[in-house]
Amino acid sequence: MPTFAEQLLLLATDEGGAPLPVQEDALACALAGAVLMDLAFAERIDTDMQALVVLDERPTGTTSLDRVLAKIAARQAPANARVWIRELSVDDAGAIAEDVLSGLVERGALAGPVERLRGHVRTRRPGTASGEAVRRVRRRIRQVLRANDIPHPRDIALVALLDACDLLADIFPAEEIAPRGARIRQLRRMDLIGRELTGAINDIEREIIAALRARAARRRTLLLHLSIIAGLGATAALLAPRIPAPHRIAPSWRQSLWFDEAWQQWSGYLLLAFGGVVLLAAMFVKVRSAARLGSGQLWRLAHVGFGVGCALLLFAHTGFRLGANLNAALMVCFLAVLFFGALAGIATNGAPGLRRLGVTPMLRATLLRLHRAALYPLPALLAIHILIVYMY
Amino acid sequence: MTKRAALGVLWAAATATAALLAASWMLVGGDRRPLLIGKTTGAHHQIETACETCHAAPPFADAAEATRALNATCRNCHRDELQAAADSHPARLFRNPRMAAYWQRLDVRQCTTCHVEHRPETTREGAVSVAADFCAACHSEGDQDVRQARPSHAGLPFDSCASAGCHNYHDNRALYEDFLARHAGQPWLAPAAVHPLAARSRAQKPLPEAPSAAHAALAPPAALQEEAAVRNWSASGHATAGVGCVACHAPTAPHGASRTVVEALWIPAPDTAACRDCHEAQASTFAAGRHGMRRHPRIAPPRDASDALEAIGLAGLSSKAASGWLRDPPRARRMTVAEARLPMRAEAADEALDCATCHRPHAVDTAPAAAEACAACHDDRHSRSYFGSAHHALWLAELAGTAPPGTGVSCATCHMAKAERRGEVTTSHNQSATLRPNEKMIRPVCLHCHGLRFAIDALADANLAISNFRGQPAVQVESVDWALRRRSDR
Repeated sequence: MPTFAEQLLLLATDEGGAPLPVQEDALACALAGAVLMDLAFAERIDTDMQALVVLDERPTGTTSLDRVLAKIAARQAPANARVWIRELSVDDAGAIAEDVLSGLVERGALAGPVERLRGHVRTRRPGTASGEAVRRVRRRIRQVLRANDIPHPRDIALVALLDACDLLADIFPAEEIAPRGARIRQLRRMDLIGRELTGAINDIEREIIAALRARAARRRTLLLHLSIIAGLGATAALLAPRIPAPHRIAPSWRQSLWFDEAWQQWSGYLLLAFGGVVLLAAMFVKVRSAARLGSGQLWRLAHVGFGVGCALLLFAHTGFRLGANLNAALMVCFLAVLFFGALAGIATNGAPGLRRLGVTPMLRATLLRLHRAALYPLPALLAIHILIVYMY
Repeated sequence: MTKRAALGVLWAAATATAALLAASWMLVGGDRRPLLIGKTTGAHHQIETACETCHAAPPFADAAEATRALNATCRNCHRDELQAAADSHPARLFRNPRMAAYWQRLDVRQCTTCHVEHRPETTREGAVSVAADFCAACHSEGDQDVRQARPSHAGLPFDSCASAGCHNYHDNRALYEDFLARHAGQPWLAPAAVHPLAARSRAQKPLPEAPSAAHAALAPPAALQEEAAVRNWSASGHATAGVGCVACHAPTAPHGASRTVVEALWIPAPDTAACRDCHEAQASTFAAGRHGMRRHPRIAPPRDASDALEAIGLAGLSSKAASGWLRDPPRARRMTVAEARLPMRAEAADEALDCATCHRPHAVDTAPAAAEACAACHDDRHSRSYFGSAHHALWLAELAGTAPPGTGVSCATCHMAKAERRGEVTTSHNQSATLRPNEKMIRPVCLHCHGLRFAIDALADANLAISNFRGQPAVQVESVDWALRRRSDR
């Protein structure tokens, strides 16, 4: 029976062996939680509010589990599950992933070398996987989500872990997960084998959620605020009064910014540059080789941050004047990209609150699709805009 | 190739195609209406797709060259107007290096400093695209500070210089101080109000006579004659002047051509070209005005795609591309009423503007062209208010013969003012010559009947203008009083 950690990494891999674009923090927390859950199922540890205690120090025979078990046993000061999840997800996730990947390679579930598989957590470099191993675990989880019977306790725990880390929507298509909300809630209420084990697993899940929330809270808040600013900027561009022509001939920054051709040229070039960075950052979130330059979270932040910069530069370049014909089409496209991107950012980063309001992953996916669709005509319109400016 | 990669390639290809297509419209030929970046001002929309009329520099010329070429083209159409107005701020004055200090403030050496096209959101009345207080750029400090030179101007805001009926940037013929002082004492209405050029114009009209003997020699084939047209023509000025049917309907027919030849060359509805042979002055001003500007000789013709393709080494594409999607759309030579931006009568929408739209060439009476023809299309409040106004009553009296020639005031009296050139009185068909700003009308029109003080006040009262001057002005422009006071203080 594969461990939770092994199944987790297989699920976070596509059938061609490439890591799926899952949230890195969530995967690290899930990996830490998976190891603790494996140890709890193996009756090596137990949890309560105050401490996570070792019941049995004997090795399990699985390298990744034994490394963590030894580390917990060696700790003199008692620490609860939350502390361990934070510590393991920050300090040990890479090593755990490497151990897990090595185990999978040894058993032939993944094709090595391991160095190429490490990318899941730290480097996100491409790996190769046996499509069959990945397909098998995905098929099983799908079956658990679709069927109405009582699944194996380990599958219940795995689904609960994935849901706690908000990874289901990253691993499976949003339209597949969205209708399964009731089933997931039902699975999470099911008892596992024995009250103690159920309690331990629930503790671990709870602590994972707490750890993830604590880690993601600041980032999400920042992204949420930036998305709101971008959304307000796009809405203002459509609804706010246009910046009028100056009433005074005296030189002023207003006159220069919006009505001086040289300034407009500069703001245009800056806008183009910022737009390029936004596009690159969006690509780098999912391009594995870009992970060397920065984590996915960093690129996501760059994407949204420079997107807000684009909204401000657009204001500086146009003064909310939409123009006519192809220029108007360009502005509408630009604003649509900003607007749907902002809404997708709000839906993504305000997720827990918005979920209660009925904002589903499917809506989030739709907003992202609209964000991308609005982008398609942009390069052509931009090229024509620049051509017109220089031609006439 | 995966589906996603294939879609990516498709998108890249579509993007490149769209950009190339737009580039080819710009550089070679094609319909450029979607590329317009904004509405043009005034009547320029009639020629806005003839881009090369104004954008005369070669493609991708440097900014200085492009600006120079652009500004040079303004004068192609507006030179005569500026000369007639004795332009008070001619560009040549500011080219003097002594004026260099002003270039940084407002570079009035270039028309486009104040008149930028395609920017309706920032363009004010008079096609001015700079701040309304533009006078302050040069007249707010040093020797040129009007607040120092004229105590009466001390508290006046600069955005009122050109908007209060006191000054115009280009045309100050009726607004400069000496002129104001000289005409200060005029009554609001002259005792014998007659427009002398209008009176002379009507006096010099040939009298209708019986059909001349020349008619037979000039007559077209009987099959092409319309009885009513011939009857009307027989009593018209054209008949008196010996201008027969063939002169207009078959102008290319050689002298003494046979009826068969005339029939082959017969034009049922001759256009302005036929009129121009005899009415050169009218045709020229018609092409400079709003009704006929598409006929102006300096309007760029549609581009020849074959030439452009050859120039970029794609001569092989010439025949197919030039006849297809790289061909400039044919340009209408006449503006239709439907294209007008002013309120027009819906039933006149299909009328295309030409000489014969207003003038009935076979008609005995040419007067309807001066007012009734205007009302057939124009449907704004000012035009509607004319009928029943004091001006209209005078016009009716003149037409009825109860008032002397030149006392009536038709639409054309003000908007197509009479002008004298080499002893001959002609009608200027360029409406802009006496409009925008409307003070341009004072000298050539208003002052023949009204006092200067009244004329300035009346034209500054927008509501009075809308009501077609029914009543007295509610606005009082103080410029005449200030001029008098300044002279008495000297």
